[in-house]
Amino acid sequence: MLVLFTDTDCDVTPKIAEEYGYNLISMPYSIEGKTTYPYVDFKKFDDHAFYDVLRSGTIPNTSAVSSEVYLSYFEPVFAAGNDILYVHFSRAMSASFDAMDQAVAELKEKYPAREFYSIDTKHISIGCLYTVRLVGDLYKSGMSAREIVETATKEVDHVALYFFADDLRFFKHSGRVSGLAGIMGTLLGIRPIIYIGDDGKMVSIGKEKGRKKAIENLLSRMETLGDSVADHRILVAHTDCPDLAAEVIAEIRTRFGKDIDIELSPVNPTIGSHCGPNCIGLCFHATHR
Amino acid sequence: MNTTAINGALFVQMIRNGAAYLYEYRTVVNDLNVFPIPDGDTGDNMYMTIDAGASQFHDEAPSSLDDAAKTAARGMLFGARGNSGVILSRIFFGIAESFSGKEEATATDLSAAFQNGVKEAYGAVSVPVEGTILTVLKDASAYAAERLSPSSTLESYFNDFSAELQRSLDRTPELLAVLKEAGVVDSGGAGLLYIIEGMKNALSGIFASGSRNEPQKEAETDFSLFTEDSELLYGYCTEFLLRLQNAKTDIEHFDLDSYIAYLNSVGDSVVAFRNGSVLKVHVHTEKPGDILNNAQQYGEFLKLKIENMTLQHSGANIENRFAAPLRAKKGKKKRYGVVAVAAGEGIKSTFTSLGCDAVVDGGQSMNPSAQDLLHAFEDINAETIFVFPNNGNVILTAQQAAKLCESAEVRVIPTHTIGEGYAAISIMDTEEPDAEKLAEELAQAVANVVTGQISRAVRDTEKDGVKVVKDDFIGFSDGRILVDFPDRTAATLALAESLSAGDYDILLLICGEAVDEAETKALYDALSEKYKSTEIIMIDGGQPVFDYILVLE
Repeated sequence: MLVLFTDTDCDVTPKIAEEYGYNLISMPYSIEGKTTYPYVDFKKFDDHAFYDVLRSGTIPNTSAVSSEVYLSYFEPVFAAGNDILYVHFSRAMSASFDAMDQAVAELKEKYPAREFYSIDTKHISIGCLYTVRLVGDLYKSGMSAREIVETATKEVDHVALYFFADDLRFFKHSGRVSGLAGIMGTLLGIRPIIYIGDDGKMVSIGKEKGRKKAIENLLSRMETLGDSVADHRILVAHTDCPDLAAEVIAEIRTRFGKDIDIELSPVNPTIGSHCGPNCIGLCFHATHR
Repeated sequence: MNTTAINGALFVQMIRNGAAYLYEYRTVVNDLNVFPIPDGDTGDNMYMTIDAGASQFHDEAPSSLDDAAKTAARGMLFGARGNSGVILSRIFFGIAESFSGKEEATATDLSAAFQNGVKEAYGAVSVPVEGTILTVLKDASAYAAERLSPSSTLESYFNDFSAELQRSLDRTPELLAVLKEAGVVDSGGAGLLYIIEGMKNALSGIFASGSRNEPQKEAETDFSLFTEDSELLYGYCTEFLLRLQNAKTDIEHFDLDSYIAYLNSVGDSVVAFRNGSVLKVHVHTEKPGDILNNAQQYGEFLKLKIENMTLQHSGANIENRFAAPLRAKKGKKKRYGVVAVAAGEGIKSTFTSLGCDAVVDGGQSMNPSAQDLLHAFEDINAETIFVFPNNGNVILTAQQAAKLCESAEVRVIPTHTIGEGYAAISIMDTEEPDAEKLAEELAQAVANVVTGQISRAVRDTEKDGVKVVKDDFIGFSDGRILVDFPDRTAATLALAESLSAGDYDILLLICGEAVDEAETKALYDALSEKYKSTEIIMIDGGQPVFDYILVLE
């Protein structure tokens, strides 16, 4: 039997995991030395309370998970004679995957007959959730592990994620966005536009003054890059700015069809630690990223 | 007394006395303010400008008028502050140009010089406005020139000049509606009147009281500022007069341009000119000995002065106070540099965080001099420097400093307010290789921003249909008064409404030094409540004069 895994950096909640039968690996963040594992240390994510703490000036840290943690998730599955398919967030953004490789190598020696499949979504947040849901659907349709990996990996290059930053202190602290050199800490309404490239890394590709212009920038990218977007998943992520997200959703419906489904997702706290509050992200099917 | 000619020494006395008269009356000039807010500074600006010329002369008494006029004009060009100061410096530059090669000048020569000053002053501004210092200078020069006769003396010339200057000044409200509305005459013209009065009186030996008319005394030097372990960061300010010698060089064909090029290769802040066979040189260098040895191949020294620029003087030698580290210029040049002018710690640090290489202190009622800006330019090792004056009264100074700058191409983006500066600098794309294109983008950003300001009224008046009451808070934008309220928050809310704040994406609220946190918090909440779709960003600017600056974009 094939057992599905994903992680909380993919904006997957226990409820979504349950829909497809995913096991959920919790990716930690820490505030003032106190480490929290999402959905392990709390049941429901109170995004408003979390981002309010960040608004007060706190910048959380995040850390990679160790090989021991991966062993604790994976070994029972292999021991029970099952295989694993892990749909995870961008390998290029975390040292966690070195730990994963180590854990898997160890387990393969111990359980040589077992298979470990992985799909690098080369994204974070809703960029991953797109593929997590796709893989879940393919799994439910009875597709084999190899076929799922092949289909999903092809799709990964067509999943575009564009978002804007509100307060650069978080991204600067994170150090994971390139191209921010010319943009300084005090933003004063200036919003860098960031996307995730084919290599799974965040790159700043411009800036806009004001939220309205920043949103327009995201929407116009959806118009020019989008490939039959209405026939695919469309996801909107926000870091505690639901009103703004609702505006974006309304605008997408005006431009792409009033009845289309759009999934609204609060960004998980670990990825949110790198973004800070008041960011909006847009994920859609595209000719390329 | 009938003086028939001005020589260098008399000219210096006249400039000093002109400066001294203006100093006495500078607050009268400051108060001739069109706007009923505490920002009148024309008198201070013009005084500091002419004083920068007068203080060029220490104990030396240049006999040549040419030398005296050029030196004074150079000091004023560098020391110019505010629009009136820049125009004043250009008047004296025109005069010096006309005196070129002259040992002394008669009334006829002086008349020609003032007329050249008129020409130069009009050339200083892109769109000359009548009813200003330009008009009164032009009228006075024309009137005095008409009345010149073979029997004219310098006194009779100046009597005619100042009589017409006064009459023309009285006519300025007829030419410029804003003056009439405010019930004042032009402040720059008034400043000129006091300067001319001082110059005229110097001819008759009537000197203004006070030590300002005395030659500047050398201040005591504090040698402890340069210790056994000090580094020679600023080099030496090296000045000399060299008499070119027939035995050493072909004086007539001495190539000054090549010599200046040599000085620039071994130092900076070079100023060199010749008067007949006398060469006057000013240069900052780490090795003055090399320059002196080189100079001696052309002639012999008449006078030498070498000062270590680390030793700060308390005197008026601004070069020492603002000396730029020589070594800053070594290393690779970057493509662009950014200089902004701003007052208030919060605004200054905001501009720094937006990527400015230097923020020169200044703004309303504290305009920087061309020299202040020039030193900021020289400190930045960049090919092209963009400068944002952020005040209508600093733009001309910035353009003058740009012309004087040799170390980089300087482009002035004529921002009139802090808001315009913010709009431009915050979108600046330093990756754009084409400076021309970048300048266009910056100008475009400036065109899309509206700035409103709140300040306290200093007098009762009626302007732009608004009844202004002394000590009320007035809100204005683009030179027009829009609202007047006894309460500051009410005035600010009314100003925001009058500027249609709800139509903009961003409202940047820059709080001045006079307002406290409770007040700004309440204002922020009221604005947020009223303009829900506008993003409101509050900054503690700490600026004087303007209690709030509203930037709408």
